[in-house]
This record gives sequence, structure tokens and C-alpha cells, in this order.
Amino acid sequence: MEVGLNHYLILSSALFCAGLLGVLLRRNLLIIYMGLELMLNAANLALVAFSRFNNNLDGQVMVFFIITVAAAEVAVGLALIVALYRKRQTAHTEDLTSLKF
Amino acid sequence: MNTSLISLELAVVGLGLAFLLLDLWTPAELKRQLGHAAAVCTALLFVFSFFVDASYVREAFASAYVMDPLAIYFKRFFLLAGTIVLVLQVQYADRIKSGISEYYSLTLFALAGMMFTASAMNFAVMFASLELVTITLYVLTSFQRNRLESLEAGVKYLIMGGLASALMVFGIAFVYGSAGSFVFIDIYEKSSTLIGNSVFLIGLLLVLVGLAFKIAAFPYQIWAPDVYQGSPAPTTALLAVGSKAAGIVLLLRIIYGVAPGVMHQWAPVLIAISAISILYGNLCAIAQTSLKRLFGYSSIAHAGYLLLGLAALNATGASAVLYYLTGYLFTVLAGFAVLVVALQQLDSDDLSGLAGLNERSPLLATAMTMSMVSLAGIPPLAGFFGKFLLFKAALEEGAMQPAFYWLVAVAIVGVVISIWYYFNVIRAIYWPRQKADLTPITVPLPIKATLALCMAGMLFLGIFPSIPLELTSRAAAVLPWLH
Repeated sequence: MEVGLNHYLILSSALFCAGLLGVLLRRNLLIIYMGLELMLNAANLALVAFSRFNNNLDGQVMVFFIITVAAAEVAVGLALIVALYRKRQTAHTEDLTSLKF
Repeated sequence: MNTSLISLELAVVGLGLAFLLLDLWTPAELKRQLGHAAAVCTALLFVFSFFVDASYVREAFASAYVMDPLAIYFKRFFLLAGTIVLVLQVQYADRIKSGISEYYSLTLFALAGMMFTASAMNFAVMFASLELVTITLYVLTSFQRNRLESLEAGVKYLIMGGLASALMVFGIAFVYGSAGSFVFIDIYEKSSTLIGNSVFLIGLLLVLVGLAFKIAAFPYQIWAPDVYQGSPAPTTALLAVGSKAAGIVLLLRIIYGVAPGVMHQWAPVLIAISAISILYGNLCAIAQTSLKRLFGYSSIAHAGYLLLGLAALNATGASAVLYYLTGYLFTVLAGFAVLVVALQQLDSDDLSGLAGLNERSPLLATAMTMSMVSLAGIPPLAGFFGKFLLFKAALEEGAMQPAFYWLVAVAIVGVVISIWYYFNVIRAIYWPRQKADLTPITVPLPIKATLALCMAGMLFLGIFPSIPLELTSRAAAVLPWLH
């Protein structure tokens, strides 16, 4: 069987939905963060597949941008979660309750 | 490649790096003053921007980057906002326990990112520059690491921002897959063939959701009140003005310059989003006692008003959005300048802290009153004329799409509701519930200058609209849909 664009897109959408469910359902900040990374990588997969089937390399260049940005985001994000953990001794979303009216 | 197109951004990035280095050789007691130096530099760049030739459209990097009247309009907007925010940061410095110079530098990097978004004409440039803004703002929101509220605001912004960028990237992948290009103008030329392509439509929808996060509009408004409340006040000011304007410039480019045909079909969706944002923001703001949180909800409502102009999809609408945003800059930054100075001695930002401000410092009380009156949209200040233009743009489309009449009706109801809570702030100043502490506040000179500028801006935009209106309509005229 030939692997076509649709197969890649179905896999990419499945990864994206898995990531999205992780973000929406999980309560641990680190797991939520992993879900976000999964969503970004699902987009990368879709871009590479589109790039291959469009015969156009722009999509692959975009993937490099996304990987770089994701690395910066992780560096800042993990530092932030560690800082929060030091202050509050927790990484669970239900403990983030100091801001409300 | 023509480097003169990115000279302003390069200068701002260079300034950011220079201030990081300068920190090493500056004695600790002078570090705070670096902010004033940075503000002077950005103010000079603002003046310099009037010598950059942007009267016609120039492109660089294979049409990915553009210098046109719209781009330069927003670059000036961001430089002005950045200058004022830097002045506020100096005033806020004693509440920042860790590295004030990094606070200034990061603000400059965020400013550079916003200026890049103003010129983005390609989804890759748009994504990279938006992320430069968002990631620096993650750090800026959580900059008071000794305060739990600030950290919590940072984490909430991080998760919501990460989700928004993931949705946007996935949308960009779909748009690229169906259109075969990242360049806005290429997609615009093909857009008539893409109008029934569901992959393209899903992609475009996801991109718009990602941008709704930046401007804090429904369905992505949930982060705004918490993050506004927890962040250090100058960061909140930058979020309210800079980050929102970065989202708006991209929405203008995409709605009017990528697939206006699709947007025309989607007008009912945009109308609904605008109406819900206006009602949600205004209704939730009524009960607030925290001033920053109140600004958070009011920011959602103002995103709704701005979307009203975007949904109208005509020349009046685009120019009204620019006009309104400029008025919003002066109005909100005046409010935050007062907030930073008047609540300096207090730990909270509760409304009761403003009690008796008219006796403690008449200037601060006047500025805050003007800011609230302008936000509420009462003549003769900027907010009134801006709203008038937005409503006019929507009514022009009413004949074709009767839903616009309803939208304007909802917006007017929103304005009436908003008068209630904006006047609550004014009441807290002049008619406090408890006996207030009436020690006079000395307002430092840079803040006096900022307040004078903001008040002059509010009055000017409200009373002499013809000159700025000509500028905004010339800037809006470059959008492909309006040719």
C-alpha cells in the first residue's frame, strides 16, 4: 500500500488531538506542557508531509522555525514551573488559586 | 536585500543587547536610571521613524517583509507605547527584586518583536515575531518571582499562550498545505479558488483563534483577568497595549489581505464573537475591586469593539480600528501611570487605595478621571470618537447584513454598562467609603511628562480628529481588499 498525504494527515491530527486532550484533561503542569509539545510536533509532521506532496521546501523551513521557537518556549516554561514549585511546592493546576475575585 | 527596511527593529534589538551589557558596568544605585536612558533611546527612534521613507510599499526577503504606511504606523505606535512603559518601569523599579536591567532589556526585545509583526507578510515571519513577543512576555509577567501572584500569572499565561501558538501553528500547516505558500499576497491571489476548500477554512479558523488569544477576545479571553492582575503593573500595560496591537495588526493583514472573501462569508461569526466579547468583558468588570483585574475585563470588552471594526470589512472599519487603538494607547497608559505612582506604597491594587487621590495629587486624579471617561466613551475624549467611527463602519454594512444593526445595539448596551464600573473608579477617588490617608504624593517629572502626553493625546484625538484620521485612512488604504 502506498502511504499518501491522507495517512500523514490522519496521524498528525491524531497526535494533535492526543496533545489537546492532554492539555485539557491533565492537572499536572509538566504533563500539560508535554501535551503542548506534542501539538507542536503534530503540526511539524503535517508541514513536512504537505511540503513533500506540494513539492515545495518552504514547509520544511517553517519546521525549523517551530523547533527553535519550541526550544525557547520550553526553556522559559520549565524555568517558570520550577520557580512556581519552589514557591508553592506544587505543580498542579488546581493549586493555582491566588488570583480570583 | 534592503536592510534599511529593518533598521528600526535592528536598532531596538541592539538597544536591548546594549542595556544587558551596560548593566555589567553600571553601579547598583544607578541601574534603575538605565530605564530612563532606554526610554530616551526609544523616543529618539520614534522621532527617527518619521524620516524613514514609507510613503510607498517596499518589500524584502521574497515578499515576506513589508514596509508600507500601515507597518510604519504600527511601528510608531509600538515605539511610543514602549517608551511610556519603560518610564513606568523605572517608577516600578523598587518593587522588582531581581535584575531591573533585564526587565528593561526584555521589554525592548518584546518591542522589537511587536515591530516585526507590523511588517509580517508571511506566516513564518508572523509566527516567529509573535513568539518573540509571547515568550518574552512569559518572563515579564512572572518577573516578580518573590510574589506568588506574579508566578501564577506567568504560568497561566504560559499554558494559554502555548496552547494558542500550537493551534495557530497547526492552522498555518493547513493553510500552507491547501494554498501551497506562506506568503499572504500569494494566498490572496489564490483565495477565490480556496473558498470552498475545507482544509483551508479549518486552517484559517485555527490561525484566527491563535490571534484571538493575543487580543484577548472570546473564545480565548479567559487568561486576561488573571494575568493582568498578577503581573507587575508595567507588564500589564505592555500586555494591554502592545500585545493587543500586535494581534490587531496581524488580524488586519489576514482579514483584509489573505482571504477577504472567506471573511465576508464569516461575518456572522465575527459579529457573534465581537458581541460576546463586549458583553462578557463589560458584565464581568462590574463586580471587580482590583484595578488591574478591572483593566483585564475592560480589555476583553475593547477587543470586542475593535473586532466590530474588523468584521465590517470596509475602509472606514480598518481606519477606525487604527484610530481607536491609538486612543486606547493614550487612555490605558495614562491609567497605568496613575496606578503605578498612586499605589506605590500599597501592596494591593484595590480600588480603595485611590481614596482621596484628588487631595493627594490633583494631577493623578485628573489623569485617572480622564482615562476612565475616555474608556467609557464619553465626549469629548478619544474613546468617544473612536467608538463613533467603529459604529459608523458597522452601520455602513448594515444594509447588506442586518446583523450589524444588532451588533451596534449590543455595543451601545455594553457602553452603557461600562459607564457604571468606570465611574466606580472615579467615585473611589472623589467620594471614598472610608476615611482616606491624605499624605500628598510627589509625582516625579518623567511621570508628569508621560501624563501630560497621554492627556494631550486623548484630548487631541477627541477634539481634532481630522489630522489623525487622514493618517489612519492612508495607513489602512494599503490593505489589498481596500484597493
